[in-house]
Amino acid sequence: MFNIPKESAVPFGCVTPAPVGEQPMMITGNWREFRPVIDNEKCNLCLNCSVFCPDACWQMNEAEDEMVWNAKYCKGCLICVNECSHDALTKAYELDFPDGVVRLEKPF
Amino acid sequence: MAKEKTLSGCAASALAVKMAKVDVICSYPIRPYTATMMELSKMVADGELDAEFVHGEGEHAQLSVCYGASAAGARTFTGSSGVGVTYAFETYSPISGGRLPVQMMIADRALDPPGDFGSEHTDVMSARDQGWLMGWAETPQEAFDNHLINYRIGEDKRVMLPQFVCQDGYFVSHIPNKVIVPEQAQVDEFLPPYSPGAHVLDPQKPMSHGPQIRPDQGAIMDLQRAQAFLDLPKVVREAVADFNRIFGRNYSPFVEEYMTEDADLAFFIQGGHTLTARHAVKHLREQGLKVGLVKLRFLRPFPTQEVGEILSKFKGVGVIETNTSYGGSMRGGSLLGEVRASLYDAAKRPVTTSFMAGLGGDVIPLKDFYWAAKILAQAVKAGKVEKTVYWAGLEEQAA
Repeated sequence: MFNIPKESAVPFGCVTPAPVGEQPMMITGNWREFRPVIDNEKCNLCLNCSVFCPDACWQMNEAEDEMVWNAKYCKGCLICVNECSHDALTKAYELDFPDGVVRLEKPF
Repeated sequence: MAKEKTLSGCAASALAVKMAKVDVICSYPIRPYTATMMELSKMVADGELDAEFVHGEGEHAQLSVCYGASAAGARTFTGSSGVGVTYAFETYSPISGGRLPVQMMIADRALDPPGDFGSEHTDVMSARDQGWLMGWAETPQEAFDNHLINYRIGEDKRVMLPQFVCQDGYFVSHIPNKVIVPEQAQVDEFLPPYSPGAHVLDPQKPMSHGPQIRPDQGAIMDLQRAQAFLDLPKVVREAVADFNRIFGRNYSPFVEEYMTEDADLAFFIQGGHTLTARHAVKHLREQGLKVGLVKLRFLRPFPTQEVGEILSKFKGVGVIETNTSYGGSMRGGSLLGEVRASLYDAAKRPVTTSFMAGLGGDVIPLKDFYWAAKILAQAVKAGKVEKTVYWAGLEEQAA
C-alpha cells in the first residue's frame, strides 16, 4: 500500500537493539564547532572530563595512562574544558584541523 | 451469576480495572477522577488486587511510570482530570509511538482559568490527535464496560495502542447508578492476559525504547501509527461483538442510534449528557416533532463512514459540543467539523449546526434541547443554517 524505502524503515514501535558499545546509527561528532584538545603533560588523570562528559567521550587508556577522546560522538559542548582540574584541556576551532568536521556537511 | 450493584462512575471504573487484573497502577490526586484511585488503593491494601500501586509525583510521572511498566510487559492503568491531563501531555505521543497499550481513565474537567472543577470534554479532546483511542461513557455501566473493551482492543497485536477511557466528571463519575457486575470468568474469557509483542524489555536482549531517529524516518513512524488506526475499525467491531456475546449487551461499536426511525432531526452527542438528551427526544416526540439521537462511542478512531451514512438520513443535525476549539473552522467546538467532513461525500446532506452546551460543568437542561430542536427545525425549513454555532442558555432570546 505504501512505498517505504528500505534504508528508512523503522522497527515496530521504534525500538532498536541497545548498542553494546557505540551506536553507529547516531553519529553526533559532526555537530561540533569546537573540540577539546588535551595536553598529556598537564593531565593528572583526575577523570573529571570522563565524569562530566554527557556523551562518555573521554575514556582512560590504562595501558598508556592517558585519556582518549572520542571524535565520533563528541558534540563539542566543552564541559570537559570547564571541569578540567589542571588546565590540561583547551578549546580549539574545529576547522583549524585538517580532519575538522564541517557542521551540516551531512546533517546526521 | 452477574449481579447488580449501585456504583458511581469512578467506583465502576475501579472495579472494571480490578477485574481486568491490572499489574501496575500509578496515581496522583485530582478531582473528579481521584475516587477511582481511592477504590483501587483500598483493593490493593485489602489484598483483593495483586498489583503494584505507585504514587506518582505528578501526572507526567504517572504516565512515565506506566510507559516504563508497559514496556516491561505489564498491564497498566492510570488516570486524571482537567489540568492533570494537560500536564502529562508530553508523554502521550511517545507512548502511542512506542506502541504501548497503556490505559488512562479520564473523568473530564474544565481547564483553568480560573480553577473551574466542573465537567467539560476539552481537557482530553486537546489530546485527540496523539495516537490514543478515545471515547466517552454515558453511564457507570458503560464506563465499566469500556475499560474492558479498550484493554482488549488496545492490546490486540494488530493495534498495540494506548487508550483514553473517558466519562463526564461528576455527571457520570460521581452519580451512583445501577451496574451489572459480571462474573470474573466472563471477564477472563473476554480479556486474555496481556501478552506483549517482541518489543518488551528483556535483560537478555537489551533494547532502546524511544531512541532518536533521523528526520527521514519520522514520516515513516507516523505512517505506522496512521496505518494502525486504519486497521482499527475491524478490531473494534470484533471486540464489541465478542463483548455483546459474552456479557449479553447490545452495544454498537461506534455510533448508537436512539429513536431515529422516521426522524427528521437528530442530536449528535457523546458522553453523559446523552441521558438528558434521550428524555428531551421523548418529550419532543410527544409534541409531534420527529427527533432522534445519535451517540458517538469512539471519537478516535472517528467512525467517518458510519457517521456519514447515518446522519445523511436526516434533514437536520444538531451537534452538542461540550468542548471548545477557539478559532476553529466551526467557531465553536471540534465535533461539528468532524461531522461535516464525514458528510461531505454523502449524496444527500442534512443541514448541520452546533450547540455549545454543558461547558464548565454546567448541566444541559431539557429546555436547551427544546430550544436547539426549534432552531434546527427552522434551519431545515429555510434549507440552510444561519450560523455554525449557538451558545445554549446564553442566546435564547434569539430563538
